[in-house]
Amino acid sequence: MKAFTDEQERVLIDWTKKYPYPNLGLIEALRAVQGWHRMVTPEAAARVAEIFSLPFNHVWGVATFFPTFTRWKTGEKRVGVCHGLSCWMKGSDKAEKRLEKTLGVPKKQATPDGKLSWETMECLGACEQAPALLVNDRLVGPATEDAISKLKP
Amino acid sequence: MTKILTKHFDEPKLHELETYRRLGGYEGLKKALSMERPAVLEEVKKSNLRGLGGAGFPTAFKWSTVPPEDKVPGPRYVVVNADESEPGCYKDRVLLTRAPHQLLEGLLIASYVIGAKDSFIFIRGEYQIQYEILEKAVAEAKGAGLLGDVNLHLMRGAGAYISGLDTALLETMEGKKAWPRQPPPFPTVAGLMGKPTVVNNVETLSMLPFIAREGGEAFAKIGSAKNGGTVLFSVSGHVEKEGVYEVPMGTKLRDVLALAGGVKGGKKLKCVIPGGTSMPPLLEKDLDVCLDFDAIRAAGTFLGAGGMIVLDETADAVEVAHNIERFLAHESCGQCTPCREGANWSERILERILEGKGQAGDAENLARVGENITGKVICALGDTVGMVTRAYISKFPDDFRKRAANHG
Amino acid sequence: MGKTVKYKLNGVEREAEEGKLVIEAAKDAGVEIPHYCYHPVLGNPGNCRMCIVEVAGAPKPQISCRTGVREGLDVKTDSDAAKRAQASALELHLVNHPLDCPVCDQSGECGLQDYYMKIGQYQSAVREDKEHKGKRIAAGPHIMLDQERCVLCTRCTRFVDNVTKTHELGIFGMGHSEKIDVTPGMTLDNAYSGNVADICPVGALTDRDFRYKVRVWYLDMTDSICPGCARGCNISVHTNTARPWHNDGKRVARLKPRVNMDVNGHWICDDGRYGFGNLDSDRLGKVLRLKPRKLEMAWFDMASELAPILKEGGLAVVASGMLSNEDWAAYKTLFDELRVEGHYFTAEPDQLGEEDALLRRREKVPNLTGAPGLKSGSFDELAKSLEAGKIKTLYVIERDLSKVWGDKAASLLAKANVSILQGPNKYSIGDAFTYRLPATAYVEEDGHFTNFEGKVGAYKKALAPIGDARPDWAIFDLLRKALA
Repeated sequence: MKAFTDEQERVLIDWTKKYPYPNLGLIEALRAVQGWHRMVTPEAAARVAEIFSLPFNHVWGVATFFPTFTRWKTGEKRVGVCHGLSCWMKGSDKAEKRLEKTLGVPKKQATPDGKLSWETMECLGACEQAPALLVNDRLVGPATEDAISKLKP
Repeated sequence: MTKILTKHFDEPKLHELETYRRLGGYEGLKKALSMERPAVLEEVKKSNLRGLGGAGFPTAFKWSTVPPEDKVPGPRYVVVNADESEPGCYKDRVLLTRAPHQLLEGLLIASYVIGAKDSFIFIRGEYQIQYEILEKAVAEAKGAGLLGDVNLHLMRGAGAYISGLDTALLETMEGKKAWPRQPPPFPTVAGLMGKPTVVNNVETLSMLPFIAREGGEAFAKIGSAKNGGTVLFSVSGHVEKEGVYEVPMGTKLRDVLALAGGVKGGKKLKCVIPGGTSMPPLLEKDLDVCLDFDAIRAAGTFLGAGGMIVLDETADAVEVAHNIERFLAHESCGQCTPCREGANWSERILERILEGKGQAGDAENLARVGENITGKVICALGDTVGMVTRAYISKFPDDFRKRAANHG
Repeated sequence: MGKTVKYKLNGVEREAEEGKLVIEAAKDAGVEIPHYCYHPVLGNPGNCRMCIVEVAGAPKPQISCRTGVREGLDVKTDSDAAKRAQASALELHLVNHPLDCPVCDQSGECGLQDYYMKIGQYQSAVREDKEHKGKRIAAGPHIMLDQERCVLCTRCTRFVDNVTKTHELGIFGMGHSEKIDVTPGMTLDNAYSGNVADICPVGALTDRDFRYKVRVWYLDMTDSICPGCARGCNISVHTNTARPWHNDGKRVARLKPRVNMDVNGHWICDDGRYGFGNLDSDRLGKVLRLKPRKLEMAWFDMASELAPILKEGGLAVVASGMLSNEDWAAYKTLFDELRVEGHYFTAEPDQLGEEDALLRRREKVPNLTGAPGLKSGSFDELAKSLEAGKIKTLYVIERDLSKVWGDKAASLLAKANVSILQGPNKYSIGDAFTYRLPATAYVEEDGHFTNFEGKVGAYKKALAPIGDARPDWAIFDLLRKALA
């Protein structure tokens, strides 16, 4: 089975051409894969390796290194709550409990409909909005009860 | 108080080219382009601009270590480090959101001096909003013909704190694990793809338009000795008014704390982390320390990247140290053993103490392990692993003793 | 060569080439600095931090695998500060190590054990539970992986990335959760996979065929040359005679590469490494006449009986590049005195195989080059001559004819009046001969092979011969004396 659609293949090939050297596009290409599949599987990484003419162990090493890339399927909305020091001081533990209760799933596990998943994240660079909440790489402000309840469709 | 970067932050549309230009934007670039490259470098040298990403390395000196084109021909690059990830630091995010053109102008000035035809902005992936703002700003600048012959590339990270360290950032850009390199050679000699590369922080480069426009001396005058200009502090934690504050280099800690409205609810101060959680904390008695790269060293800590976290009397040093060590253990890249094993071990010792299973000698052992890591690892992350535990143990011995006493 | 500079090592003034790594210069001076990640041909990533030393004037200790010698450098590898730094690096390597030495095959040749005895702190400060990772992972046909014992020095991944370029191993994960693992969908089955067990400084990658066989401290080690192909890789034969009831009763426990930068560098191939089964099985030990009735004979009687047969004429000699230089010399002396219809020793499909750019040669015998000025006839011709009844006596030395001629071998053999098999092994066809002369295997004699490039390598006697076996040259000498 093919790992990607023709259109996705084209996007990945484009990433090999975007920068002065092909390998400079690898992280962006893997970000694209994570976005499409909501995870990076060995099969997908192997195809990316082929496209970038890189050894598979290299690409799989990179894919398993960076926290953005997951071996579990995230929700369509991937929610992160920061537990850096400032956020932890302002109740990131409580926010985590609230997320678990509201979304009804433990961390790093998507809801049965695949819409949502949540996880704790390291410092999100929003210490003044503690505890910071991130949805699909976009900062949405403090993880208040209101903000969390709005996550559900 | 003199402001450089945040001077026009009350303009709601500062992020747009039109507004930015109306307020004098890109005049610095124009002026720089009218000068010989060494003359611009000379102004930067006179400005005493230091690397505001945390290292405090003199910017002009870093630039001057790029080998000249006649010695090392071929491309050279300027890379903006916008991978801000240190707990407590969010000033780059604010600069990217509010003043993207200020950064682009600075980057173009740097690219001119270095001779870079391809320049990069590496931004952490979690700043998607800022990435889009930058995309728009680059398109605007390009449309206005401001980029000249420079290709500006944007690139996103993938969630690793260590990517923010210059050589790890270059590895990440090259599509590798963010394993720090071990200089020499330094990036200015062999950086991205082995080519001479200058890596500068967002805030550092954002200072350049002012320096180019007003001259290096005007910038130097604002700061303290050998620390030119202003510095941003992103303040969070137990304060009344969290936010980013721009102050001249050398401003007293007490004054920055006052800008943020002081300790929240009138509580007593426990400590202030001056530059992000990797930096040892300062105590009440240190409030008169001057915040510049050199003066703060005398107080046993570092300016870092201006991520100031204020903790009131209710904070517990063991819990704080645990939170920071957990972060460092999670973000350790795993390349070298002392950091990979030592950070995790330190975290687990602290965790055990927090669980009420502390044993006699735990604090001493932690301090010993910390000493065995710091100075014996590849990069600065590893150094901080030991520095943090030792700092909290030595500054708050009672917090550790209390737990040890409770549990024999 | 760079210029020679003076530097100080542990207070003693020494000379070395400028820029040479301190860890290498120290080794030249007889000072071993502990290390895991540094390897002379795989590089110096500097991740293990074991080779940390004190450099006068440096603000902090330096790793000697990334510090170059320069004029006036003052290095201390054995000062209190250096030893403390090394001990603390070792302590951190051991925080999560399972300390399962009693059941680890690496015991006795383990970098963790060795340095622990040298610089360890002997008093564990670890109160935390060990973290667990994968154990007993069959990485490939020859190699077992234990992730808990791994120190993540990356030698093995550098080997599969840079030497074999096959990429079957990688470091996956990040930080404390990272581990060496087999690349998904792959097996560690390249032609040189066994080398990862050698370069692994700990017990993370071990030989499956050596697993639980014998403790390494019972092994004797003898310098030798691999007879597996024309490369002539330098090896060390590890034999177990101290505890004969170990290792399933086999005398040869394993073969390891021996560094020779002119021949094989640091490596050997898996064919050579694991292909030593014939040293302890299928062996000839008795001087035998098999026809018309089986009769065990003394060497002298055998030589006397064979001398007239050899002199009779119609003699064809089959040999191979398995013979040593000494064997070839005696061979020549013997057969120069006889009328020989033909010599047949070229590598045929029975002795040909895969080759590659790294080490493996197509000819799977060590010493075709050593055959002194002899011309080999073709085996097809020999078969025809046998069919035509032109060959009265066929003398076969260290060669399995069933692999040359297949099913026809026995019937062809029957065409000769007399057939002689000389060598260490019987092969499937061994019972079809008239005489069998047991020869020593290379591990049971001293000798030399000349490799395909003309380089001569010496191998030493590691074991006593089996039964009455003698070196081929001694048998040739004996026969020559009998002829006279």
